[in-house]
Amino acid sequence: MTFASSSPVHDKAEVGPEAEQPSVNLVAPSLALATTLSVSFVLGVFALGLLSGSSGWGVPGHDILWKIRVPRVLAAFGTGAALALAGAIIQLVTRNPLGDPHVLGVTGGASVGALLFILLLPAGSYWTLELGAMLGALASMTLVFALAWRSMGQGLPLGGQSGTATVLLVGVMVGTACGAAVSFILALASDAQLRPIVFWILGDLNGATLWSPVWVVVAFALLLAWPKARELDWLARGDAWAWTLGVPVARRRRLAILAAGLATGAAVATAGSIGFVGLVAPHAVRLLGLRSARQLLPFSALLGGGFLVLADTVARTLISPGQLPVGVVSAAVGVPFFLFLMLRRRT
Amino acid sequence: MTAPVRWQTHALRLDQLALRAGGRAQGRLLCEVLDLRIAPGERWVILGPNGAGKSTLLMALAGLLSPAAGRVVLGDRVLSGWRGQDLACARAWCPQFWMDPFPVTAWETVASAVLATDARHDAATARGIARHWLGQLDAAHLAERDVRLLSGGERQRVALATTFAQGAPLILLDEPTSHLDWPHQGLLRDVLHRWSAQQGTIVAAVHDVNLAWLLATHALLMDGKANATYGPREQVLTAEAIGSAYGLSVGVFLDGDSRWFRANLERQP
Repeated sequence: MTFASSSPVHDKAEVGPEAEQPSVNLVAPSLALATTLSVSFVLGVFALGLLSGSSGWGVPGHDILWKIRVPRVLAAFGTGAALALAGAIIQLVTRNPLGDPHVLGVTGGASVGALLFILLLPAGSYWTLELGAMLGALASMTLVFALAWRSMGQGLPLGGQSGTATVLLVGVMVGTACGAAVSFILALASDAQLRPIVFWILGDLNGATLWSPVWVVVAFALLLAWPKARELDWLARGDAWAWTLGVPVARRRRLAILAAGLATGAAVATAGSIGFVGLVAPHAVRLLGLRSARQLLPFSALLGGGFLVLADTVARTLISPGQLPVGVVSAAVGVPFFLFLMLRRRT
Repeated sequence: MTAPVRWQTHALRLDQLALRAGGRAQGRLLCEVLDLRIAPGERWVILGPNGAGKSTLLMALAGLLSPAAGRVVLGDRVLSGWRGQDLACARAWCPQFWMDPFPVTAWETVASAVLATDARHDAATARGIARHWLGQLDAAHLAERDVRLLSGGERQRVALATTFAQGAPLILLDEPTSHLDWPHQGLLRDVLHRWSAQQGTIVAAVHDVNLAWLLATHALLMDGKANATYGPREQVLTAEAIGSAYGLSVGVFLDGDSRWFRANLERQP
């Protein structure tokens, strides 16, 4: 017998030939295949998004292309990427496959923050909505984790299992409270304020022309979380076990809150509250065979972004010249897609 | 078969250790003045009735839980003074329950522990070590399986492989045999014996008194009323001591050097 760090050369003899073969050659090709698939998917939906308009399909004129279509497609991609990245991070740190910025009340918190800033700051100030959404998302996510953390037994396995359910329930409660707060703010708003607020709440990319902030935030959140991806993987198998591997658990949790909160806030600021992307994208990536967080985080962002571009294209063209809110389409596409993936892997 | 360079064993010393349930100040007292030394190459079993504090003690030894009083010293340093990374290379902890929220293969689970203590390993080396330990625990055929779809005993063997693959000489096992059948209990016994033969240290909470006898060189018996007896297994694992800790009448059959215990479960004393 040898200990773990000794040379594995003799393993073949001990483990047996049949166990040695399968995955050795599989990982790299599956990563390459997934990269090719995802990139072509994203490029495909970009093309679709650029060629489709409320007046029908076709190559648009120069102005429409560069002033309307391109910013909108880029905004949709950034929003979807932000939500999917937040969802992937939240799922890992809460150890909950149902984790999602919407389910945990983070998008709700972002909405409340954005609306409060719109109401309280003088009209015409810059970055009101964006700042409010970010702060609201961070505050609600911190609140959820602070309330639920005690029940997770400080991460020890004593109460660890039930704790993940508690996070979810606390998140649902915080989300409900945020919904009530949004209604309250709407009741207080003046008629002039009401119209943009309602449009934004519907979860709509119509008029979302400012695409660069959400891209910057997605890149920042990814740069924040990705170097610690392995540790997030270990956290997903239990805080206590991760701690015994040398992971500074509390610090990584704060990092996750920051990255996921900023990403959610940026997404909500860009397009209002859109559900389902954060839930579906990470699972779709896992089902592609990319399970480690190092792959999960960037590919979730890629697929989530592509998914929302596609959803927005459908939203613009389905009942043209009318437009659907993209949230409707993302749910209508996301639910059966998710069910299909789940049912397929069970058989 | 030489031990690798970074294989550095440490003695574990419990210094006037007092523990309370859940590590909380107002928790039930589990042990009061535990004072013992666990040397490299020893295999300790922790026995005691449900709720006696076996898991809590293991967590205190892992550094997960601060003792109510006293200290745990590993090598020449108090446990809380160790850097997380160094501690990960010195001791591995196998919890009683595992959380597998997401699909992951058995070998990936084991490999994650390999990479935790030595990030310099490339993926192929980590996979090789993972497969080695899966093979040691008769789980090589499970390498590609999703851990969520394994049976209880299979998952436990993967968990044990993960713990050994971490490469830390001090192994803390919380009920490592709870799901194992007889052949695999015997297999684990062999693995533990080989581990300690290389100066690795084992501390395991075990429920089966007879299995505990087979696994151990030393035993720590907690009675759930904050009393503990400990020492070489021959001194601690007697019918009287076990009977009084569990509140049962216990008989013992001597078979050469072996002892077989039988509790009278039909009649309370």
